[in-house]
Amino acid sequence: MMRIAIVDDEQLARKLLREYLSSYEDIEIVAECANGFEAVKAVTDFKPDLLLLDIQMPRLDGFEVLELIGREVGVIFVTAYDKYALRAFEVHAVDYLLKPFSAERLREALDRAKARLQARQLLPIEDLTAAARPPGARAERILIRDGANVHVIPVSRIDYAEAQDDYVCFRSEGKRYLKQQTLADVEAVLDPSQFVRIHRSYILNVERLAKLELYAKDSHAAILRDGTRLPVSRSGYARLSSVLR
Amino acid sequence: MNPILINRTRTLVYLVLWLSIAVLLTVILTPSGTGLSPIEAFAITLPMCLLYAFICQAAWYLCKAIPLSESALPRLVATHAAAAFTSAALWYALSLAWASVLEAAVPFESLGPRYRAAGPILFFAGLLLFVLAIVFNYLLITFESSQRAENKALELQVLAREAELRALRAQIDPHFLFNSLNSINALIMADPAAARRMCVLLADFLRGCLKLGSEDRIRLAEEIHLAENYLDIEKVRLGSRLTVERSIDTQCENCRVPPLILQPLVENAITHGIAPMLDGGTVRIEARQYGSNVKILIENPFERESCRTNGTGVGIRNVRMRLTNLFNGDARIDVKEDVNENRGRFRVELQLPCIES
Repeated sequence: MMRIAIVDDEQLARKLLREYLSSYEDIEIVAECANGFEAVKAVTDFKPDLLLLDIQMPRLDGFEVLELIGREVGVIFVTAYDKYALRAFEVHAVDYLLKPFSAERLREALDRAKARLQARQLLPIEDLTAAARPPGARAERILIRDGANVHVIPVSRIDYAEAQDDYVCFRSEGKRYLKQQTLADVEAVLDPSQFVRIHRSYILNVERLAKLELYAKDSHAAILRDGTRLPVSRSGYARLSSVLR
Repeated sequence: MNPILINRTRTLVYLVLWLSIAVLLTVILTPSGTGLSPIEAFAITLPMCLLYAFICQAAWYLCKAIPLSESALPRLVATHAAAAFTSAALWYALSLAWASVLEAAVPFESLGPRYRAAGPILFFAGLLLFVLAIVFNYLLITFESSQRAENKALELQVLAREAELRALRAQIDPHFLFNSLNSINALIMADPAAARRMCVLLADFLRGCLKLGSEDRIRLAEEIHLAENYLDIEKVRLGSRLTVERSIDTQCENCRVPPLILQPLVENAITHGIAPMLDGGTVRIEARQYGSNVKILIENPFERESCRTNGTGVGIRNVRMRLTNLFNGDARIDVKEDVNENRGRFRVELQLPCIES
């Protein structure tokens, strides 16, 4: 029995998939989601084997959903846009359906999914986290999953990010958000003219910087607008001055 | 670069012309009763004419420096008169010197005094030739600039046409078709009557685009009908997420407008406004007559956080370019964005001259 979640913002598109899938006896539709938030929640709650995933959806797109679910899952993308095809293969999607598609084409994709599920070749998590963005593109927002909830933080609202063991803690508007990621990964996707690695454990949004204080030979402290003090290492100070110049 | 020295044939023709002037001057100099033989006269006029051919080239730079259309007449006359006088005087002086040099050679004995006695014929000829050179150069410059203007007008016409074609071709987004076909595919089993309705809507829309797109001007009512047709199709796809409000002045329905000028704006309202919103919203279309103008408003809500897809600019840029091409500044498009926290309203206002037929 294969457990499937359908994710599409269009009701008719979901209806069509439901109709196509009704002829399969070994398939159970465990969730039908109208947007990315519901999809993340459904994956947490129902742990489906396979997602039939639309790409262009309100708020969270299909790639961002993948970034957030953080567990191995089979994915078949369903979309009208073939420009995403290449990226779909980069993230090792099982298959890729272009709307409109036939019941036969869906069967092919499902057969492939079954084979992959049996061989346990699913989406590795590191590919999922890299999936949300085309290579080289800067992040415009940070997505954080908190149980079944999803926080979307535009990067301009981030004050700083701090490394904490296997997690990165984002500070934004007085709140803290934890995400399982390395600080180097975060640094790689943020715009380097706005976010500077000031210390081994800190990335600072330079727009929040109020002043720099020298507190020992060779070491500085960054004072933020809200009064927070962050340590600045020697190389961090060099990076900061080259950005501020 | 001087237009005569720029290529070899032109230079050659120019020199041949001066050769005939030298012959003409020889004929004028010979019978003046001073006993200059044709050979002696030619020995003076030939080198002098070749020299003057180059002196007269200066007229071209002079004409460039003081263009006819931008310079005051007194300045024009004074400058050219001074230039002509100077060159002619210089030329005549040089010819006198040349005659004295020639005296040294055996066959030209006492050429100097005999040439001087013939009078300053070369001076007056020099004046006349320089003035002719100025007139010739002005004609050349005028001709060239009119040709340039013609080329430029042609180029602009081609550009405008291209922009128009691109705008028209960009009208129907293929993804709109794919999504609509997918909706029909879904409706076929679940609601066959709705599937048929959708087929007819889609056919009407495509036919409308093709028919109206081939015309120069259509009634505003037709244009609005096409936009509504499009919205009806998107309503099937987006369901309750899309509502449409319209308020059209019947007075302006007969205005003649360029075809498919609203459609890209309505499409923007859906793809960048309503479709990326979780709960959707309302698209407003308004058309009002103000004196001899018609104002059309298209308004839609949007979510700032959802607006990641850039590209809103293309449709609006196309419409703006078409308006500029077609109305030369008598039409305008204003874009306004009100953002309040995460929610915003996007308003596009078109103002066109209302030409009724």
